[in-house]
Amino acid sequence: MTSSPANRIDTPIVLDTDDDDAQLTDRLLAPLRSKSKVWYALLALSGAGVLLFVATSIYTFVGGIGLWGNNIPVAWAFAITDFVWWIGIGHAGTFISAFLLLLQQDWRASVNRIAEAMTLIAVFNAALFPVLHLGRPWFAYWLLPYPATMAVWPQFKSALPWDFAAILTYFTVSFLFWYTGLVPDLATVRDRAESRGRRMIYGVFALGWRGSAEHWQHYRIVYGLLAGLATPLVISVHSVVSMDFAITQLPGWHSTIFPPYFVAGALFSGFAMVLTLLLPVRRVFHLEEIVTDRHIDAIAKMLLAMSWMLIYSYVCELFIAWYTGDPYERYVFLQARPLGPWAWLYWTMIFANVLAPQLLWWRSVRLSPLALFALSLVIQFGMWMERFIIIAGSLSRDFLPASWADYRPTWVDLSLLVGSIGLFLFAFLLFLRFVPFIPIAEMKGLRREIRGAA
Amino acid sequence: MTGSRQPLVHSAVDDAGSVTRRDFLRVIGSGVAVAGLGACIEPPRERILPYTARPPEITPGIATYYATTMTLGGFGTGLVVECREGRPTKVEGNQHHPASLGAAGVFEQASVLELYDPDRVRTPRQRGGVGGWDAFVSDFALTPASGGTEQGRGLHFLLEPTASPLTLSLIDRIRALHPAVGFTFYSPLAFTGAMEGARAAFGRPLQPIYDLSRAAVIVSLDADVLDAHPFCLRYARQFADGRRLRTRRDGMNRLYVVESAFTTTGGMADHRLALRAGDVADVATALLAATATPEEVRPLIPLLSRAQSEGPATSWVRAAAADLRAARGQSVVIAGAEQPAAVHAIANALNAILGSIGTTVRFIEPLLPAEAPEHALTALAAAIDARAVDKLIILGGNPSCTAPADLRFSERIRNVRSKAYLGLYHNETALDCSWVLPGLHYLESWGDARACDGTASFVQPLIRPLYDGRSVDEVLAVCGGLPTTSAHALVRELWSTQPDFQALWARSLERGVIENTASPPVSAALDWAGVLPVLAAERQRAARDSIEVTFRLDPKTLDGRFANNPWLQELPHPITKLTWGNAALLGPETAKRLGIETGDEVSIAFGGGRISIPAIVVPGHAESSITLPLGYGRSGEERVARDVGVNVYPIRTRGAPFIIPDAVVRGVKTGSSEPLATTQGHFTMEGRAIAREGTLAAYRADPRTIVPPHEIAPSLYEPVAQSGDQWAMTIDLSVCTGCSACVIACQAENNIPVVGREGVLKRREMHWLRIDRYYTGPAENPRVISQPMACQHCEKAPCEYVCPVNATVHSPDGLNEMVYNRCVGTRFCSNNCPYKVRRFNWFDYSFGVPAVLWMQRNPDVTVRERGVMEKCTYCVQRIRRAGIQAATERRALRDGEVVTACQQACPTRAITFGSLDDVDSEVSRSRRQERSYAVLGELGTEPRTRYLARIFNPSPDLTV
Repeated sequence: MTSSPANRIDTPIVLDTDDDDAQLTDRLLAPLRSKSKVWYALLALSGAGVLLFVATSIYTFVGGIGLWGNNIPVAWAFAITDFVWWIGIGHAGTFISAFLLLLQQDWRASVNRIAEAMTLIAVFNAALFPVLHLGRPWFAYWLLPYPATMAVWPQFKSALPWDFAAILTYFTVSFLFWYTGLVPDLATVRDRAESRGRRMIYGVFALGWRGSAEHWQHYRIVYGLLAGLATPLVISVHSVVSMDFAITQLPGWHSTIFPPYFVAGALFSGFAMVLTLLLPVRRVFHLEEIVTDRHIDAIAKMLLAMSWMLIYSYVCELFIAWYTGDPYERYVFLQARPLGPWAWLYWTMIFANVLAPQLLWWRSVRLSPLALFALSLVIQFGMWMERFIIIAGSLSRDFLPASWADYRPTWVDLSLLVGSIGLFLFAFLLFLRFVPFIPIAEMKGLRREIRGAA
Repeated sequence: MTGSRQPLVHSAVDDAGSVTRRDFLRVIGSGVAVAGLGACIEPPRERILPYTARPPEITPGIATYYATTMTLGGFGTGLVVECREGRPTKVEGNQHHPASLGAAGVFEQASVLELYDPDRVRTPRQRGGVGGWDAFVSDFALTPASGGTEQGRGLHFLLEPTASPLTLSLIDRIRALHPAVGFTFYSPLAFTGAMEGARAAFGRPLQPIYDLSRAAVIVSLDADVLDAHPFCLRYARQFADGRRLRTRRDGMNRLYVVESAFTTTGGMADHRLALRAGDVADVATALLAATATPEEVRPLIPLLSRAQSEGPATSWVRAAAADLRAARGQSVVIAGAEQPAAVHAIANALNAILGSIGTTVRFIEPLLPAEAPEHALTALAAAIDARAVDKLIILGGNPSCTAPADLRFSERIRNVRSKAYLGLYHNETALDCSWVLPGLHYLESWGDARACDGTASFVQPLIRPLYDGRSVDEVLAVCGGLPTTSAHALVRELWSTQPDFQALWARSLERGVIENTASPPVSAALDWAGVLPVLAAERQRAARDSIEVTFRLDPKTLDGRFANNPWLQELPHPITKLTWGNAALLGPETAKRLGIETGDEVSIAFGGGRISIPAIVVPGHAESSITLPLGYGRSGEERVARDVGVNVYPIRTRGAPFIIPDAVVRGVKTGSSEPLATTQGHFTMEGRAIAREGTLAAYRADPRTIVPPHEIAPSLYEPVAQSGDQWAMTIDLSVCTGCSACVIACQAENNIPVVGREGVLKRREMHWLRIDRYYTGPAENPRVISQPMACQHCEKAPCEYVCPVNATVHSPDGLNEMVYNRCVGTRFCSNNCPYKVRRFNWFDYSFGVPAVLWMQRNPDVTVRERGVMEKCTYCVQRIRRAGIQAATERRALRDGEVVTACQQACPTRAITFGSLDDVDSEVSRSRRQERSYAVLGELGTEPRTRYLARIFNPSPDLTV
């Protein structure tokens, strides 16, 4: 198969191989056996990031939030930005797998597991920040409605308990969905294992899967149900996160457009992260025939669509700020952000989220892995900026000019962000090495489907 | 338990600053003994007084209060100090004392922290030699027996000028016994311009006392009478009383101020004229010319030239003159302490011409030496050079740091053979001396003092000395060879000549004032003969175009004496909001001329010295003038004070102690200079109606132009159930001067930690009550408006519904309560607080401080741990204490029974607190005023703190 990319894109090819089932299985299991030096090098590098994250977390626990740059009025800054950023990244996975499954988009099969793993890791990462961010993190469980002997409940008017519940639910359902999809493949790894130890370990995780028709019947039902359950969560979790801001009366936060706006932004950054991960994986493991240009193109188009949803939200925000006539809101949107001391941040964000994605109108850009990879990084950077501008920027210019203040992150803030990226990559590398990251069973089914159709 | 009889008890606090339990009990016990038994200063034996046999008037948990007097700048201010289980914890004003009238300023409020300062001198020590009081006494003291006029030659005392009858009598007694002993008085807080001005106008030095409550028109010639004057608390109250509006028909006084730097007095002005301090004399002359009829000033005619050009100064002078003439006998002209004799002479002349003497101003015999302190110190320096001083005892002050630079006094002290320093700190002077002796804080010593008007009062200790210290009077008595050496005995001895002494003693200690001791007014008749030469001398000054440099006592550290007090260091400057340091203040045009901006440095050379200091551009500062606050850049061993800010004393000389007309000033673009730790960075309101203001005329015509009617915004949330008293506060912006006494009072009452310079730079100051300061009016001549801002106790509190754990909730009596135990520290409440008055414990601020400082803490207020939010509680501990008292007496709370700490400290009574449940309470009535409004009321937060819009009273002849 050596047809040129330009030709391939015209026909919706989602699997571009002549392998039979056994060859395909071997091929997809190969990464689990690889002893790649690159992998070890990357693992060491991201492992250093994990250590940085753990060390700075402990430092924060012991020393206090004062080690960060937060202040009054900017009581939330880096950590909450990181939280929203990671939770946003954690959106594309479930969207790709569950949403597209329900819409019967076959092309999702080869990318869904990577996207789901990304989701899980990102949501886990995200969930660390709100806890770390508490003044007294050892009492984080007070946000849970547990039956306390003092009969004290969380305050349900606050968005934070909703948040707590939404993230926990999302993580649980995403995990179950991911794991359910993984069971047949874990059984395959078990069956193909060379060593007894490997067989034992994968055997435990495969939950006794034998591939019987009954198993497959139950599997389909559960998988479909979980997909149905996960789909609204994609919408709900970031809507709830956005309410952390929208329920307040702070100019720049107090906005009814926030839920859809945040979901669009989340998908935008999530798809960008899928590209960031998928493109190198495809290249390194030579999976161009499994993850075809058709996939990449589809994801790039999704990015473009999301960027326009975001642009719509930006315009709406600006228009409403002007239209309300509210002096505080007008100041934040029309003066502080575009012209204030952090204007460079704002315009960087506009470049990254509004202008740069328009390159995707060009097919050549959509088909250039290098350009897409670079663009995906720019977008993620831009989305981080956006959250930072919303969170810290709004807080720094609120109602009383006397309390206005700027914010400057410390090395601890930066280390936690860098460390969390390390943590994310570390977990992702382990995932690549120990779990079949392309769904083998689904690919085989897809192969037969395509064959049958052909 | 040692049975030895020592001069004073061992210190209860070891050098590391920690307190052992046993020592702590002993200090408490002995403190109780002193506070309770009053008369017994001489410790009988050291023994622990267990609380099983507690003194009858002490109930654990119930505060006791004692009157005492704090002396500053030689004059006393009467105070009532709260004592908790033997520890003084909070200073309040004494309503019976003329200098306090119930209020206490920032220095009085912060002085309680100084008592527990871990950097205090603890034991008498000789550098490189033995220590102990006995060794000191044998080295320095005269003996009464040997007598003889020659005895004492070579012994010299250097003191701060004081009006204390005891100190002055001791000096007289020593002088009588040993005429050769020398005494010198020096302090940068002593100003003699007023006395010289009186000498010029009336033929002899006199001290003016004003009565601003009777003044309809007040003209300040560079006089910061509302904040920097020994009587400022009284003057601020009188000024406010003449300005307080209860109805639209009430009258208001009118304040004209000419000054160089913005002061709190200038901030209150109806008409402020920003002018170089050196040019104030010209304005004063013009004012005299414009106010008096030619007949009244006939001898002066050749000296008075009408202002040549039309300008802001001319119209200011014209309006002020018209008002002064119209308010004959009800006006007062006040000259600033730093101003030369000529300005004081003109002020005296104006007051005499306008018939104000006897109504708004009276004169008394001076209570402090009329000799300029710089002059006195020069004489001492000459004596040292002549080897006429071989034993120098410095009692307080810090002359090594504060003496005029050209005297090189530090070197001269070191040239004296034996020199001893008695004081609270190892400051620059202590480092120059061979002996360092622990002084006593006023809260642990006996003594007496006179207020500015002569009213005497006793200094009564509230606690046994923490360390092995002696008071100034005690050291004077010992070294002067007097038979009695205990301050308690000395002060009783002095006053025992009064009739019915026992009753007077008891009554005066209880009330804090010795009745009928105010100085009688003396007659003062204007005599032009003396005025002419000083005016002529003043006119000799050549016209200048150079940039003048003026020195000012810092409103937080004064001359540097309070530089080791972290509360004061962290108190934002009333105008610049600068903490932890000083800066050169200058106007925008001058900054442009020097090519600098805020944060850059100015380099100033004068008299052989040179300093480099960061600059702050202050709109409204006089152009071609730079103000340098004294009191920073200290180089003693005090850990808090050391190296904070810039020491400007190196260019302050005898010839120009207040104003340098022609220093060499250079702007230095530092680029990445040391950032200035300010608590406010934005001083305009951006067109938002936050601190509302308007003129009296507009208020009378239609108050709605200033304060539109309050509308209750619709809300989704149910109202909180209300029962019982409904607490509320009103702050009158018309009389708030921004002096910040409330800020320190709040800090002392509520165990509020300091965060240090780094913390302020990160904007993490913990003050529950802050004072927002905005510019209003035209940019070229702005007004300032100060707005105290603390938790507004919103009825629809935005902080409450966002807290995920119910840690901030509403009480039935209308308080927005903070439950520290429940707080997990999400800081969501702060984000949703439109007033940004919530504070977060970013670090463990409260527990990391030296243990001795714990003794200051208010046991009724929780000390907050790391990671929790905190904020103003409306002093809930005071509300509950009063409520319990009322409940035990089976009655309802009375209006005015609950007084918050900020309200109690406020010199102008700008703060009203009470219950809305009582429609006749003062706070209910104030809320019904047409200028009452809620800040950000349009958000629907329904705050319980309301503000009364600032009404000012400009002359109809002048545009504002």
